Amino acid sequence: MLKTFVLSFRLKNTYKTNGIIYALKALPLIKKLLPESLYADAGLKQFANIISILIEICSAFIGKALYVLLMVFSLCMVMPTATADSFVHIFFFLTIIGGFLNTNLFNPSKDKFYAIVLMRMDARAYTLVNYLYFLLKMLIGFLPFTLIFGTKAGVSPLLCLSMPLLVCSVKLMVAAFSLHDAKEGEKVRNENLPTAIVWSGTGICLILAYVPPALGYAMNQQIFMALTALSIIAGLCALLYVLKYRHYRRLCQTLLTPGNFAMNTQNAAKVTQANYQKKISMDATQSSDKSGYKYFNELFMKRHSKLLTRSAKRITLIALAVFVVTAVMSVALPDISRQINNLMLTFLPYFLFIMYLINRGNVITQAMFMNCDHSMLAYRFYRKPEVILSLFRERLKYIIAINLMPGAVIALGLPALLLLTGGTTEPLNYLLLFVSIIAMSIFFSVHSMVLYYLLQPYNINVETKSAAFSIANWLTYIICYIAIGKQVPTLIFGTAISAFCILYVVVGLILAYRLAPKTFKLRP
Amino acid sequence: MKLLIKDIKKNFENKEVLRGASFVFEKGKIYGLLGRNGAGKTTLFNCINEDIKIDGGSVQIEENGSLRAIGSNDIGYVLSTPVVPEFLTGREFLKFFLDINKKEQSNDQSINYYFDLMKIAVEDRDKLLKDYSHGMKNKMQMLVNFIANPSILLLDEPLTSFDIVVADEMKQLLRHIKNEHIIIFSTHIMELALDLCDEIVILNQGILSQIEKADLDNEAFKDKIIAALRGSEDA
Repeated sequence: MLKTFVLSFRLKNTYKTNGIIYALKALPLIKKLLPESLYADAGLKQFANIISILIEICSAFIGKALYVLLMVFSLCMVMPTATADSFVHIFFFLTIIGGFLNTNLFNPSKDKFYAIVLMRMDARAYTLVNYLYFLLKMLIGFLPFTLIFGTKAGVSPLLCLSMPLLVCSVKLMVAAFSLHDAKEGEKVRNENLPTAIVWSGTGICLILAYVPPALGYAMNQQIFMALTALSIIAGLCALLYVLKYRHYRRLCQTLLTPGNFAMNTQNAAKVTQANYQKKISMDATQSSDKSGYKYFNELFMKRHSKLLTRSAKRITLIALAVFVVTAVMSVALPDISRQINNLMLTFLPYFLFIMYLINRGNVITQAMFMNCDHSMLAYRFYRKPEVILSLFRERLKYIIAINLMPGAVIALGLPALLLLTGGTTEPLNYLLLFVSIIAMSIFFSVHSMVLYYLLQPYNINVETKSAAFSIANWLTYIICYIAIGKQVPTLIFGTAISAFCILYVVVGLILAYRLAPKTFKLRP
Repeated sequence: MKLLIKDIKKNFENKEVLRGASFVFEKGKIYGLLGRNGAGKTTLFNCINEDIKIDGGSVQIEENGSLRAIGSNDIGYVLSTPVVPEFLTGREFLKFFLDINKKEQSNDQSINYYFDLMKIAVEDRDKLLKDYSHGMKNKMQMLVNFIANPSILLLDEPLTSFDIVVADEMKQLLRHIKNEHIIIFSTHIMELALDLCDEIVILNQGILSQIEKADLDNEAFKDKIIAALRGSEDA
């Protein structure tokens, strides 16, 4: 047993170490310093090895600390019931959910695939020893935090000590039950693809965990103690069942099919691509009387209407509905009318985030790559500068038009609402609301296209090879997110954002025209 | 017309894949490029096609006695994994391709002619390319490269995905067009190389060299090629 454990731990550590070195090599500046031979570099390997072990140790604690703090402790503080009661109540029901969603035995992990399928280690020994290690990590990982937060919440220390045991017992019971259900290993439920029953059970347990305490009912510590004691007894029986179960090899074979998990980034990328290709729709009405690249692009947009125009139309309708409802309310209720008027004059930053959310640019550019450019860029004629730029223009026109559908409704809706709710003394506000929304809509369209053409991050196997693209997208999100809730007079924000958008569009287009012929290519 | 490869160098980090490969490819011949796994055949193609930057040397075309750089219209490159725009039907892809090449009217008649040429069944012509089989995608990729009619054709393991009947048709087609083209053909299949190619070029240790058949029979020639490919290992 111990030998199996050491072996599997070393195996895991070997590729985790390589993973760390690989990650180091992905960093822009550091990669220049590191040679190709560094996977064989003993010193660096030691360093990565230590990091890998540190990560293993931290991962045993950090997740559980956050879980107890955020899901249990912080919420039980706001419940009307006694804090200690809420704590054990919430903990109990969440533990049931965890028992089903995190079984370890039924997780088709990469570790298992390497060890059992590729390295042909003994399935039973490997599974059991790693399962026991998993339970041990649960015990040790939970203990400090159930003690710290539990006693803080007023739970008796004895109960706090027994909580990690409850976690393990519930997991064992679920495991024994699922193993029994799996018979000889031919019917295996993948824990990452929960069934409808598990989902509904999760929903019910979530409701049971939080709603009764919020309404003033929670189990007391005595009941919790009794339930825990029962669970531990049942858990011990379950442990015996798990240890005695014979068909782990079969079980692992059923679980570790390629469809169940993405082995590596290339597979994951292929899955993404296959999903995008499923979105291509074709019917007899889709034709184009254009020619050349315009023909090509028009058919692309039509075949992807499911992904592109249809959702934009839906958003447009929703925007229209929201506008009508708000308009009616503001006419009927003077109180709300005043608030909306105020909103129109100070809450424009919020719309930066909304415009970000309804922008279809990222979906469009990803579809462009997955269903079109990844193959077309292999053709030399497609990489001619004039071709890249003419398609860039065509595509941009479509994206702007698609995004302007909801954009126009919002841009007209906001000044209309302002007018309906009593207007403003500064007529410039009407214009600014309109112009800034249109500017933002165009800005996001241009932004996603420029990012795609300048930082095209994929290689021919649709693997992402550049972090810059992700970072840029992430930054965009953060900036838009920060804008939420900022109150700035529309006069100021509207002017600033419009000016920024116009400037960005101009600079972005110049950059794209200058650089895209060089940057828009498949990554090696 | 000639394709002049002169002293091409390509390194990936510290690994020298091409170390001064030189060769002159002439029009009217099919060249079989042989090399062991990882010898750099695809890298060489990528260098000729300017998909990757070369670290040294030059790739040029000699035409009517004068040298010039390679242009986009000079090269057709058929990859071993076929790539086609999945969202178009076979017919639409051909129409688009004929449009942009402005060679001729892209009417149904000319499109059907090409489909017939590649023996693509009538019922498949209006299907989306994403639903084509691997072999059919490969046919389409080959077809558009024939249509564009570049003077240099680089074919990376092109016939392996075809069934034997189609592979034979393709061979006929290549022989048919070879007089007007420089065709370079990478493969692992010795029989194919001997059967189809006029010259055998091997890529070994980052260097290109021609294996002369002289008056050897096929068996002896094969042995010579294998010896040449193995050579470096023993050395």
